[in-house]
Amino acid sequence: MTSDAHAVTSRVADVPLSPHFGWAWWLALLASGGLVALLGYTLISVTIIGVGVWGVNIPYVWGFDLINYAWWIGIANGASLFAATLVLRRHDLRTAVNRFAEGVALFAVICAGIFPIFHLGRPWLFYWTFPYPATFQVWPQFRSTLTWDFWAISTHVIVTSVLWYVGLIPDLATLRDRARRPIVQRIYGVFALGWRGSVRHWAYHQRAYRLVAILVLPLILIMQSTVAFEFAVTLVPDWHETRQPLHFVATGLAQGLSIVLLVAVLLRWGLRLGRYIDEGDVDLLGKLVLASALVSGYLYIDEIAAALLSGGLAQEATFARMTGEYAGLYWTAIVYSVVIPQLFWFRAARLSTVGGVFVGIAIGVGIWFDRFSIIVGGLQTDYLPSIGRGYSPTLPETGLFLGTIGLFAALLLLFVRFLPVISMFETRHDEHEEKSS
Amino acid sequence: MTERPYGIMAEFRTPEALIEAVRAAKHAGYTRLDAFSPFPLSDLARELGVRTSVIPWIATVAGLVGAAIQYGSQYWMNAVDYPLNVGGRPLHSWPAFIPASMIVAILWAGAATLIGLLLILRLPRLHHPVFAVPGFERASQDRFFLCILQDDPKFDSAAIREVLGAHSPLAIREIPACE
Repeated sequence: MTSDAHAVTSRVADVPLSPHFGWAWWLALLASGGLVALLGYTLISVTIIGVGVWGVNIPYVWGFDLINYAWWIGIANGASLFAATLVLRRHDLRTAVNRFAEGVALFAVICAGIFPIFHLGRPWLFYWTFPYPATFQVWPQFRSTLTWDFWAISTHVIVTSVLWYVGLIPDLATLRDRARRPIVQRIYGVFALGWRGSVRHWAYHQRAYRLVAILVLPLILIMQSTVAFEFAVTLVPDWHETRQPLHFVATGLAQGLSIVLLVAVLLRWGLRLGRYIDEGDVDLLGKLVLASALVSGYLYIDEIAAALLSGGLAQEATFARMTGEYAGLYWTAIVYSVVIPQLFWFRAARLSTVGGVFVGIAIGVGIWFDRFSIIVGGLQTDYLPSIGRGYSPTLPETGLFLGTIGLFAALLLLFVRFLPVISMFETRHDEHEEKSS
Repeated sequence: MTERPYGIMAEFRTPEALIEAVRAAKHAGYTRLDAFSPFPLSDLARELGVRTSVIPWIATVAGLVGAAIQYGSQYWMNAVDYPLNVGGRPLHSWPAFIPASMIVAILWAGAATLIGLLLILRLPRLHHPVFAVPGFERASQDRFFLCILQDDPKFDSAAIREVLGAHSPLAIREIPACE
């Protein structure tokens, strides 16, 4: 087993430790860096000029800010939920996909966090949502969902980071021990915290890792529900529904899984990690994506059923989303997030790189249109007669959206470059178990 | 070197050899043992008497404290210190205080787990005597090590070498003590 274990470690560890990484990586980083610059520009413009640069206005008080926030949170939650479930079930798939599923979750929640802060209008005062003894002696109003969201986002960032980092510590030690250049040894050494692989330490480490994974499960459900509550507690007829949390959690899971699949397929192809993310893993991921897409389909039917049962303005509002001015958004969501994933009934489609990329992106796009349809399409019918204004995103809003995609890609590229994308110690463990069984 | 070493370390090629050596050392009466491996060996940890049940307790207690503080502060701020009548709704609107309390419970439990883990493991610690052993960098890759610490009541270099040497180690080395 020794030579095998060594092979795993070197195959995965050589990626972050190699001094050269090829032009494709630089090109991708340059492209995503350009988008990050765009993000910086749009954030500065909204800070200096104000939210007037966006296309939002009464009745469309929420636009790209909330669409993209809900979308990124969906990715983060879906990926976290998936990663935590694999850890707890001790599923074989965890070795292959856990590390970057946690990474995807962390980077997505970072992107998500940008939107609520900047849509405050005066982002430098965001700390007003935190209960601190202010000189004007006013406390935050905890009966508002917006204060729940403050806790939800900050907890999500911290707990996701803890899960990711605790899992990384032993692998950082491996990188420290394999690095040749002193500066690289020192950097990994500091982050490895002096891990020395003591059996006693391993026992505590495994217990703590699983415990944080357990914490992630309720966190994800509460977090995504909090996002949904922000819609459900309003009096907007289309939003004021108790089914919203279920809709957001379940479609968010589909979206998170699809992004994990997309990244898995790209890593497998780009870093030639086919041995560690094998056909069985990709096949299983594909089946999960298909199953979650079917659940999304069920929820779209549920939406219609709920509208039919509710009657009145709520019913009118839901049907307006499907047939009105913004009907295109709704039907695009259905096609991309439910119809296209049906390709995964075919094994060949699940196993092919092109199929994985296509369906992975399709669900991401579909759920994005779903959030767009809920937020903008849902606001078109209200108790007041509409004032006949429409919503269309302005250039700074589009820039903000593309910018966060760039930020996500850049973080992912840096992660792939500098950290082991596959858990090396789990792989060694698995190979040992296979050998001894 | 005038002072006593930190311990004696044997290097093994397989986890099975390590486990056998640990059993032999325990059988010979040594109690201050530490083993090092590139992946978790839960059976061996159990044999070395490691009990990790404190971790869930840390998380539970921290979570309950966090939830109580969050709920209490929401109540105090919105119902006592700054009561604000919003459409005649009750000041102590407990259902509205639940989501943030649950979330903050998770926040405290998660943070306490990480901090507790580091305190128990006495990490971060950037230097440790075992790192001075030549070849120890492979403990994080593919080699298995057993160390008998010098504060063991039966510590005796020659006897230890004999016990560990019976399990065909790749090497047996003395770990120099350091500050």
